[in-house]
Amino acid sequence: MMRSRVRLFNRFGAAVLALAVLGVPAGAQQPPPALWFQGTRLVFEHAVPGHGDIAISTRDAGLRKFLDRLGATVAFEPQSRYVIVTAQDRRTIVFTIDDASYTVDGVRLRAPFAVRADGSDAMLPFFALARSLYVEPVPNGTETVLQPRVGTLEVRSDGPRTIVTVRAAMPLVATTNAETAERLQITFVGQGSSLAGIRKPAGTALDEVDVAVGGSVRVPMTTLTLAGVAGTTHRVIPGDGPDAFSVVFEPRAGSAETALQAPPTPFPAAPPTAAPPVVTGRSTVTDLTIAPGGDDALSVRITLSSPAAFEWHRLLDHRWYIDLSDTTLAGPGRDERPSFGAVQSVRVRQTGTSDAPVVRIAFTLAADEQIAIEPDEGGLTIVVTNVSALDAERTGSGRTGGPVVVSTPTDEPMASPTPWKFNPSGSGARTIVIDPGHGGDDTGTAHNGLVEKTITFDIAQRLRALLTAQGWTVRLTRDSDIDPVSGDNLARMRADGKPNADDRAYLQTRVDVANAANARLFISLHVNSAPFSGARGTTFYWYKPQDAPFAQALERSVIAAAGTQDDGTRHENFYVVRHTTMPAVLIETAFVTNPADVELLRQPSFLQSVAQGIANGVKAFAGAPPASSVSAQ
Amino acid sequence: MGLLVLFVVAVAAAWWFVGHRQGTIGDTIAVYYTKTDGVTLAPWRVSLGPARDRNSVAFYAATQCIAGPPPGTPAVRFPAATRVLTVDVAGASATVDLSHEVAGSSPEGSFAESAEFKALVWTLTQPSLGITSVNVRIDGARVATLPRGHLEIDDALSRASF
Repeated sequence: MMRSRVRLFNRFGAAVLALAVLGVPAGAQQPPPALWFQGTRLVFEHAVPGHGDIAISTRDAGLRKFLDRLGATVAFEPQSRYVIVTAQDRRTIVFTIDDASYTVDGVRLRAPFAVRADGSDAMLPFFALARSLYVEPVPNGTETVLQPRVGTLEVRSDGPRTIVTVRAAMPLVATTNAETAERLQITFVGQGSSLAGIRKPAGTALDEVDVAVGGSVRVPMTTLTLAGVAGTTHRVIPGDGPDAFSVVFEPRAGSAETALQAPPTPFPAAPPTAAPPVVTGRSTVTDLTIAPGGDDALSVRITLSSPAAFEWHRLLDHRWYIDLSDTTLAGPGRDERPSFGAVQSVRVRQTGTSDAPVVRIAFTLAADEQIAIEPDEGGLTIVVTNVSALDAERTGSGRTGGPVVVSTPTDEPMASPTPWKFNPSGSGARTIVIDPGHGGDDTGTAHNGLVEKTITFDIAQRLRALLTAQGWTVRLTRDSDIDPVSGDNLARMRADGKPNADDRAYLQTRVDVANAANARLFISLHVNSAPFSGARGTTFYWYKPQDAPFAQALERSVIAAAGTQDDGTRHENFYVVRHTTMPAVLIETAFVTNPADVELLRQPSFLQSVAQGIANGVKAFAGAPPASSVSAQ
Repeated sequence: MGLLVLFVVAVAAAWWFVGHRQGTIGDTIAVYYTKTDGVTLAPWRVSLGPARDRNSVAFYAATQCIAGPPPGTPAVRFPAATRVLTVDVAGASATVDLSHEVAGSSPEGSFAESAEFKALVWTLTQPSLGITSVNVRIDGARVATLPRGHLEIDDALSRASF
């Protein structure tokens, strides 16, 4: 009874708030239209139409159901004045309380009414929100159909390749018809589109893009026809989500790639200004040429002394810049105002710090023109076309070739380490503790038929044999397929008032094995995974200052023995390395999500190599174990 | 004597103001994401609405960080459906309550969790917000690590934690 009263009150409260938002006198409101979405009637607990929209509560079950179907979430808390809806493709739609505008991925739009809040409830304009999620309200007689649509069509160049990506409100179901190598027709059933028409994206591998809409209001259909330039072929590639569909057009093998510009004519150099000295070992911009390209394009050729990482950003006010990391300018900065193309100005500057120099090349554009970045062995070429990007990306990164060494600056002192209590002549001076990560019900990560707890235990046993042969006393935190936890730890952790006591107790039990033995070293073995298959290699995590040289010793020896990609040593707040009192390292040996690493992890010889590498690293760092008479003290 | 007291009060007020002021929050704020190497941070800037109070902006920044950079940008992203439930800013400390989806559907390696929390901590500790440490809660509870995770999150995190 009480529950239904509360519900009634909530509905009443929402109604009053909605009427206040819309400025509609009580009794004068119109009934909301019947809304249909994906073949079912969408029922709101309370919806108030007005100003060409419908005010709907953020807590309304009907709205939540609608957002769930689209894979979107809404976030609002009374202390904050922002209501944020995150779409499935991670775009954000942001409403501000008491403001009659909202933003969709940073682009400001006019809302039909100001969003208002009352306690934990806020009233949003439903149609405006739906359109931002690529769902168009379409009148259909006395009802309104909420029609999912193809929302964006993006055409971008990547060297000689052109990638077309379509994004929609819902997961895309596509049928393709390859008429020729150059021509592909794709039909999306159940999706309407506001993008109908023909485009000719110049400067790309595409000759024409045609979007046609058919079907009915309830079951719409969008057909996309892509025609590549002569000599190209196409292939469908995975989109970056279920609601994205991508096709790449590229030159067929043996065909000549389209030349983008005539031989460049260098601009006269600007008057010399104070230029930073060239730092040996870093990349240096040895030449920078700004020249006209074909079709009013502007070409900037940057010649580098060695490979460099770069990162570019497109700002909302038609500015675009690229930063070359760890790079210096050999000459002065430049300020150019080209008399051709859509580029209003080009600025080249040395920025960053003496420790981390950055060369920034910034363009002021007439509009959001398409920009192609073409890295190669000698540097990179930036081509600014005179063609508007249909849906320009805002940021990206890459490198000009060769491995890129990255580092993350920290501008604050390291947290206080756990005191180092190790006594070389103590009782545990001959003891090394190996921690095979996970175990028992805790499988760790599991992909491609590989289970972390099994691999870590396998390596631990191999390592135990090798270290024992060196003369060490070796203890494992688990000797079988269990997740060890001490009853004392569970009781203590639960008693000290910290929630999640159990997880802490499990980890502390492993730490206690090493601390109680006053061990010389602690090695925690793990296997990594990532949400994508590209990440690979071996990483050595440390926390306390005394861990760092041990991590570096292990890095050198394991990489040499196992031949994995060296992902470096990293300072990280990991429990078992933080709370152990001796030099400790957590090793993520390889990724079970990367095909190359998976092949390695399946081979016993690789696991043996990892163990051998660790044993070598222990020897390099700690030498031989002290004599038994010392450890017996 | 009265002037002296007034002078002392004025100096004390000025000292307090300088000591407690935060950076100015402009029209945009930086939101960080971690690149797919799992360690390199990159910022992108998002426009703010009219609200500039620290609680609102911190909530906005945290939610944008969880949403991640624009579609198509290679990044280590928080698990889908992760939401920011609340952000409470008190002095130089922020407490972020995340929904349980942040733990993902199955145990994962250290790669993603450290990359994700690094981005969140760097986003909330940008100078204009005046926040230097971040406490993490999952569905309102203080936890030692993510379930079966590696990164310790029951103590306040700062940029030095990574």
